Amino acid sequence: MFSYYLKLSFINFKRSPSLYALVLLTLSVGIGLVCANFALISVMSGDPIPEKSDRLIHVSMNTWATETPHEEPLHILRYRDAMHIEKADMVKNTVTFFASGIYVRDSESESLARINASVRATTAGFFDLTNAPFAYGTGFTENTGKVLVIGDELNQQLFGGGNNVGKVLELAGELFTIVGILEPWHLRPLFYHATENMAFNNTDDIFAPLETAIDLNWAVHARSSASDSVRTLDESRDKNYFYLQSWVELHKASDRKLLQQYLDNYSQSLKDAGEHPLDIRNELHDVNEWLLKQEVVDERVLAFSIATGLFLVVCIFNASSLLLSRFHAAKFEVGLRRAVGASKSQILTQGLIESSLLGAVASVVAIGLSGLFLIFSTEMLPNLANLAVLNGETLIAGVFLSIVTANLASLYSIYRANRYTISAELK
Amino acid sequence: MNIKALIKSLFLRKFSTGLLLLQLALTLGLIINSTILALDTKAKLEKDTGMPLDEMLVVVSSSTSGAFKELSYAASIAEEDLAKIEQIPGVIAAATSVQLPIQTGGWNGNVNDVDDQDAVLRDRYLKFVAKFHSNEKLAQIFDLDLVEGRYLTEADRTPLFSEEEMNIVITESLKNALYPSESAIGKLTNAGRIVGVVKDFVINPGLADDKQYAVFTNMPVTLAEFVQHYIIRVEPSQLNQVKAQIRDVILGVQPERDIFGLFSMREHMDSFYANDQGLVSLFIGLCILMVVITAISSYAYAQFHITQQTKLIGIRRALGATKKDIVMYVLTENWLVYALGCLIGIGATIGFNVMLSQYIELSKPDFVLAAMGVGILFVASTLATWLPAKKTSNIPPVIATKTV
Amino acid sequence: MLVMNNISRIYRGESIQTHALRDFSLTVEQGEFVAVTGPSGSGKSTFLNVAGLLDTFDQGSYELDGVSVDGMNDNQISRLRNEKIGFIFQNYNLIPDYSIFDNVDMPLRYRGLSAKKRKQRVENALEKVGLAARMDYLPSQLSGGQQQRVAIARALAGEPKILLADEPTGNLDSLMARQVMELLHKLNQEGTTIIMVTHDPDQAREVSRNVQIIDGQITDSKIYAPVAEMPTQEVANV
Repeated sequence: MFSYYLKLSFINFKRSPSLYALVLLTLSVGIGLVCANFALISVMSGDPIPEKSDRLIHVSMNTWATETPHEEPLHILRYRDAMHIEKADMVKNTVTFFASGIYVRDSESESLARINASVRATTAGFFDLTNAPFAYGTGFTENTGKVLVIGDELNQQLFGGGNNVGKVLELAGELFTIVGILEPWHLRPLFYHATENMAFNNTDDIFAPLETAIDLNWAVHARSSASDSVRTLDESRDKNYFYLQSWVELHKASDRKLLQQYLDNYSQSLKDAGEHPLDIRNELHDVNEWLLKQEVVDERVLAFSIATGLFLVVCIFNASSLLLSRFHAAKFEVGLRRAVGASKSQILTQGLIESSLLGAVASVVAIGLSGLFLIFSTEMLPNLANLAVLNGETLIAGVFLSIVTANLASLYSIYRANRYTISAELK
Repeated sequence: MNIKALIKSLFLRKFSTGLLLLQLALTLGLIINSTILALDTKAKLEKDTGMPLDEMLVVVSSSTSGAFKELSYAASIAEEDLAKIEQIPGVIAAATSVQLPIQTGGWNGNVNDVDDQDAVLRDRYLKFVAKFHSNEKLAQIFDLDLVEGRYLTEADRTPLFSEEEMNIVITESLKNALYPSESAIGKLTNAGRIVGVVKDFVINPGLADDKQYAVFTNMPVTLAEFVQHYIIRVEPSQLNQVKAQIRDVILGVQPERDIFGLFSMREHMDSFYANDQGLVSLFIGLCILMVVITAISSYAYAQFHITQQTKLIGIRRALGATKKDIVMYVLTENWLVYALGCLIGIGATIGFNVMLSQYIELSKPDFVLAAMGVGILFVASTLATWLPAKKTSNIPPVIATKTV
Repeated sequence: MLVMNNISRIYRGESIQTHALRDFSLTVEQGEFVAVTGPSGSGKSTFLNVAGLLDTFDQGSYELDGVSVDGMNDNQISRLRNEKIGFIFQNYNLIPDYSIFDNVDMPLRYRGLSAKKRKQRVENALEKVGLAARMDYLPSQLSGGQQQRVAIARALAGEPKILLADEPTGNLDSLMARQVMELLHKLNQEGTTIIMVTHDPDQAREVSRNVQIIDGQITDSKIYAPVAEMPTQEVANV
């Protein structure tokens, strides 16, 4: 029976190809736009590390040393505060880092040309904490020494890929040995650095030991704030210079209280020592809370998604009115089928199968279009350049949405078709 | 024309009429709000920044070798760069700067009178005053007008990291925040002693006009770990000619540099608003699609109705209605639907505006815009109805006598 | 075969009620060929629609092939219609872009038969109406009489107990009409019960019984002898 209904649907499509093409196109454009938007939002609001996002905690502290505090606890920490977090023993892992940038070349290369690389100057805990995927070698284990982990893209740029562990790179006149090379690594959002409009940057090219970077006075490529005069980074360790970010990995999510207590005790001891006059206010956020707080989802995309949603509604209305005229043309045939013994439910089933088939075809066109729309959107909104990804979630949503909207659009005509008295159509 | 009969006939087709009404209303809402967005963005882009945007060239570079870590070396290279740049025909002046105007964030610091530490508690914007560490030429390059005192001069040059008291120039809005009722000249702040006040210009477009706080120093910063900006003022219309030479000039001084930005201040402003402009394009694109879809619906609506009424129209023709009468009949019906749609559309426009305002800045709809949206839809839907109407008028009167 | 007792069918307009059928009773036996005549608007079509389960009725009872249709839901009624009734319309009502085969096949599709069985039945039905060779033609490639024979084949394909024909020759010229009537008589002789609405007094006389409806009621019911002994007097039915 199902195959008969399918056959009838194809015959119907063939009868008024331009009308069905119009319906198909209308629905596809509407769904394609909604899907493209959905894709952007779902990537932007996605959980980049679902396996432990509730156990990874970002730390903000309120230890500014003067009477003129920031309104909120700072998400950047000074060296000694960060080091106190590194010492916490109730946690599984910690990481302290800052973002930097440097020009790099293969030390054995003939050419003096250098590549601009983004740098994460970090403590050794980074790789385990973020589940960084290694292709070759391992992470470094000390926060000192002239060793590096590099990302896949830089490995391609410098060496054209392959296992280059042990090779030596020159960074601003200093020689570093590669100890690890990562696989292509996409984190969307880049949860470990969701501030300073960097939430959709690529993962870094170079990961270097924190103490080494500080000693070499590498630039801080993110927010820094100071109440002391600091000329060079190497003199910042005991100054009130705030530039490091800290993440903690807990054994279990409920350990958060312990961490909070640990930090509050520390702040209290600083306050007791007269080092800051502020309220004890340390804030912890897990990955998703942190991304939400940083409002990484682009407001423009949210605004546009309202518009595309309404557009889809208009498309459904349009398809609906087109299909209504199709239905009027088919009244006679429905009457005839009823006369030869088709029941209302059989006619209804046929209608639903036809619109579902329409929806299925629409979904294919729509997904193609949404790819185009996505490219167009990111072209128009340059800050979303890394986000043009049609993820599985979106594809499933697209197919589902297509079939639902196609059925919605034909619902009224199917209903009307079943309400007519059969005898009125036949003579 | 019998309006009452028309309304009755519309009511008989309440489903398809209802669909079309809602489509018209939503389309109107989108058109008007998109236009608001476009106009808002255009206003932002056309706002007077107080600077000659088309006569300013920006070069952004980084040093790529460790040699620049030596502060005096970096400073001397910068001096040489500027001197060579100023020799290019068409260049009026060039200066290093730690940052550009028209941006959010940047090199900021708190500024207050040395005797008024609490100022930052009263006005939190005083914590993020933009610092333009540059040289004495910056005022000339930015074309800043003096309000009181004097510009910085070569004599005000202060070495980096110097502990000495520095002379500074501040913007008018900063002066009003620090010294609302007295002259600022000679006052000592934590950033230095004020020798001049200049008119405001757009430093951070995200802030209000009276919060464009800035401090200018004659303390060039040439630290290797920071990106180096050269801001160059050129003769009108010489921009492209200068731009073409600048890379060679700088790399001619010292090749271990990566010049990754070379643009006019106008381009800088455009890229600052690129996302806003992009959103406008997306909305306009959507409007076009929506108008097309609605026009298709208007066409289908009229067409469908006419096929149903072929006999009735034949009878009208048989009874003496002219072709023109029939066209008018169909069009009037369309206009009636359209007028109702616009009425509902006013509600849709306001609703849409409120929803969008949750996420983006958007002005309120006004009458002129509403009239424009109504106009666009009017033309589109009339055109879409014209075709079936014309076809209808060709129905021969003889249809009336046939059984359909 | 068909037993109607005191059937009433009332159409309600905004202000007026029309009794299309009132206290209508009729019994048709297996193997009968009944002609229904009557002026326009007398209720002939309503009778045929009610008999064919295309329309409902307001009062009375209706038994078809020993099954009471009272209280049946749409699925059951559709099933009954599909299995027991074959329709023949004045306008043939063939689907223009279906082949002859697909047109005849249509009722069988709603019966859940295997493809092989359907094919066999369609071929049998077309054989009976003498059009087996035209299976792949489109209706437009056939004459009016041939089209009506296809429609009859469609009605026969489901092997119905009863054929309901609504002026089957109304759109045909006399020669073609003759062929169609001969076919119907042949089917009747083979055992199919037929009820036919007609305007043609000659056709009405050819059959075994003539029922005349005026104002929704049977006013006259004549039982004729076998066709060979057809009486010669006129029947006032126009």
